[in-house]
Amino acid sequence: MKIIVAIKQVPERDAQIQIAANGKWIDEDDLTYAINEPDAYALEEALQFKEKNGGEVIVLCAGPERVTSTLRDALAKGADRAIHIEADDLAQRDTLGVAELLAVAVKAESPDLILTGLQSDDLGLGQTGVVLAELLGIPHATIIMQVEKTDTGLRVKRELEDGWFQHVDMPLPALLTIQSGGNKLRYATLMGIKKAKSKETNTIAAADSSEAAALKLARVYLPEKQKKTVMLTGTPEQIAAQLVEKLKFEVRVI
Amino acid sequence: MGLLAFCILISGGLFFWRFGPILRTILRSKEDADFSLHPLGRRVWEFFWEVLCQAKVIEQRPAPGIAHAFVFWGFLAFALVSLNHFAAGLRLGFLPPESLVGRFYFDFAAVWAVLVAVSIASLFIRRFFVRPIWLGKKISYESGFISFLIFLLMVTYLGAFFATDGSVTVKALWWTHTLALLIFLPLIPHTKHLHLVLSPLTVFLKRDEFSKIPPLAGDEDFGLVSGKDVTQLIALQTYSCVECGRCTEHCPAATTGKVLNPKEIILGMRSYLNEFGADSDAPLLKEDAPTSHLSMEAAFQCTTCGSCEFQCPVGIQHLPIIVGLRRGATNTGQWEDTYGTKLFLALEKNGNALGLSAVERDKFIAKQGFPIFDGTQEYCLWLGCMGGYDPKGREIIADFARVMDFLGTTFGVLKKEKCTGDPARRLGNDLVFQTLAEHGLKALETAKVQKIVAICPHCVRTISNDWREYGIAPEIEHHSEFMARHKDRLPKQFEGGEIVYHDPCYLGRYRDVYEQPREIVALAGELVEAPRNHERSFCCGAGGGLAFLGEESGERVSHVRAKELADTGAQTVGTACPFCNTMFRDALSAVSEAPPQLYDIAQLTARALPPTKI
Repeated sequence: MKIIVAIKQVPERDAQIQIAANGKWIDEDDLTYAINEPDAYALEEALQFKEKNGGEVIVLCAGPERVTSTLRDALAKGADRAIHIEADDLAQRDTLGVAELLAVAVKAESPDLILTGLQSDDLGLGQTGVVLAELLGIPHATIIMQVEKTDTGLRVKRELEDGWFQHVDMPLPALLTIQSGGNKLRYATLMGIKKAKSKETNTIAAADSSEAAALKLARVYLPEKQKKTVMLTGTPEQIAAQLVEKLKFEVRVI
Repeated sequence: MGLLAFCILISGGLFFWRFGPILRTILRSKEDADFSLHPLGRRVWEFFWEVLCQAKVIEQRPAPGIAHAFVFWGFLAFALVSLNHFAAGLRLGFLPPESLVGRFYFDFAAVWAVLVAVSIASLFIRRFFVRPIWLGKKISYESGFISFLIFLLMVTYLGAFFATDGSVTVKALWWTHTLALLIFLPLIPHTKHLHLVLSPLTVFLKRDEFSKIPPLAGDEDFGLVSGKDVTQLIALQTYSCVECGRCTEHCPAATTGKVLNPKEIILGMRSYLNEFGADSDAPLLKEDAPTSHLSMEAAFQCTTCGSCEFQCPVGIQHLPIIVGLRRGATNTGQWEDTYGTKLFLALEKNGNALGLSAVERDKFIAKQGFPIFDGTQEYCLWLGCMGGYDPKGREIIADFARVMDFLGTTFGVLKKEKCTGDPARRLGNDLVFQTLAEHGLKALETAKVQKIVAICPHCVRTISNDWREYGIAPEIEHHSEFMARHKDRLPKQFEGGEIVYHDPCYLGRYRDVYEQPREIVALAGELVEAPRNHERSFCCGAGGGLAFLGEESGERVSHVRAKELADTGAQTVGTACPFCNTMFRDALSAVSEAPPQLYDIAQLTARALPPTKI
């Protein structure tokens, strides 16, 4: 069983984000990067799946030179080899553009299973996996907590709302987007890092986008915080009534 | 004469039949890459003090220690007598009884014979009638037999003084003495009496630093994974164990009902070597082997307090072995523990053991108005994970900063500071430790720091000793050392009440700092000692990364110690380590209806300072 895990490198969780001078992206200088959290869970799922059922785990990442550190970490945790799609212009590509990049590399490997995080910590669009499945013409399932192999394919556990889960049987090959927290992540080990040195990383150049991005980024800005205080006036009864109405229809907590 | 020569040959043969394989196992084990005989002077001194003077044996267990010392010194005195005994039997005697030297020496030995006989008899009574639990539950008949042999040797020697020359009695005594010696010899390598031969060497050769974790050698070294990783020093030390159980007696894990028993770790290692020999591929740690003390569970119950290593009279260094086993399990990913993984991921991602965002530290620094170290200040104040992130640790740091301000000492903090890697180091994660150590060394170098002061003994130890594997850190000291140096300028409090001081393991046994914090406590009130103090202090339970590993099995170490501290009746407990502090915070209220107050020494000092001018 050949499994590809598509991962993304994102700024670290507690990074102090600043907007770049042109206002179109964040300032990337002085940032430290890490693996996108749901992708870390996708990798963990793949590694555990391999440990149970055998096979090969390939990590795939598109981005500039710096993403090789994230790929190396993934190799250290147990992935067998890595594919790096060299692309410096990810921010200019929309989801379809990125998925196209990934699709080229994935097709060349013809894997049985593709895993990816359900969304990215930076943009949070949650579409790349789904679009990639569409481009590959294979079935997909999203927000997956658990993957099991069956005689005919897979049985996956999807997270629904309100504590409900859905179990789905699906054929292979397939693409799954993995939810955070389904497994326990493993820690990187000295042995893993040493082994990673001898593992292969295949670097491929990114193809030019087939067409101009359909989505264009107009402006990036930090959340604008504002504090609005409204004084409720009237008799206690009136104030209480107003408060209830606001809690019900504006804040929607009762 | 022929019969005697034959008996000697048999006895010597039986000795080497067993001793040969042991020696081979030790010699064929892996070489200790970092071993060096330097400093030789210290080694010679320790040999003189610990072996010849029996200082440690006596100091840590006075009564049986003295008895043992008499037996040992008696053996030394008897070496010449016994050699001459056999030589004379083969007509090669070199100490004629009628000569002046001979007469003197035999009488001198007779005095020792009496001392040895009395001592060995009392040790026999202790072992078989008093039976301290540290000697193990199993009665060691071999020990009894050997005591009997020693007693017999002395009695037969003394008896000969009263018998008429040439009588049957003399002949009988002579042969009994001879046979006792010849039976004793082959028993040595078969029993813990092997320490007679090995332990002087073990004491002389032990690693030059307390709780020293040796650097990994080469790409295939991950710590103690299999017999291939067992070094010559470890092999020598395990064969030297005399099974006295001092390590167990003082072990915070063994005495609170955990699986870990440091003596059994050493004996487990010895049985492994006996079973597999040197250079074996068989794994050292067993995942679940209730009978084996080399279990994963046991290895990860150690608080690295070091009382075992400190106590050991034969020079066994337990910590390189226990931490080595942990390294073998962690560096290869075999150790799977929810809390441990969480800690490692927190250290990987956030750079602090508490798993909080580094922004929290920035906010704290800003709130306190701590200056960033820029090279103009005298000291870099190292916050550590506790000082930077933990609410109580922050109080300690803030109070210590007030003390420094009061003394007019300039200081700054690093803009970005990560954990020293102490918990990762002790839990055997060399990858995380290396990353953090290298980060720290670089940060200090970039900031051009010359002197560091820290409130956490774990930070101090790790920066000053463990980081050496990756570079030389600036000079660092613990705040107790700093404050003690300036004690004349610190205010004295006359109504501070009784304060019981708890020695943190990493300050006392690890750094040999006992008196400086006491001087600070004495400024703040009346110093009271806990029953176990100084180098015998009992751990708080937090060390070795255990503060982060969740609930412990058996009784809580912190409760045992907190009760001991509370029972002194002192109104205040003084600590000098933020980890001890955090452990006792909960433990004191759990073990005492009216718990004593709990303060770090910096806080004890700070409360007497004039209010800060704003």
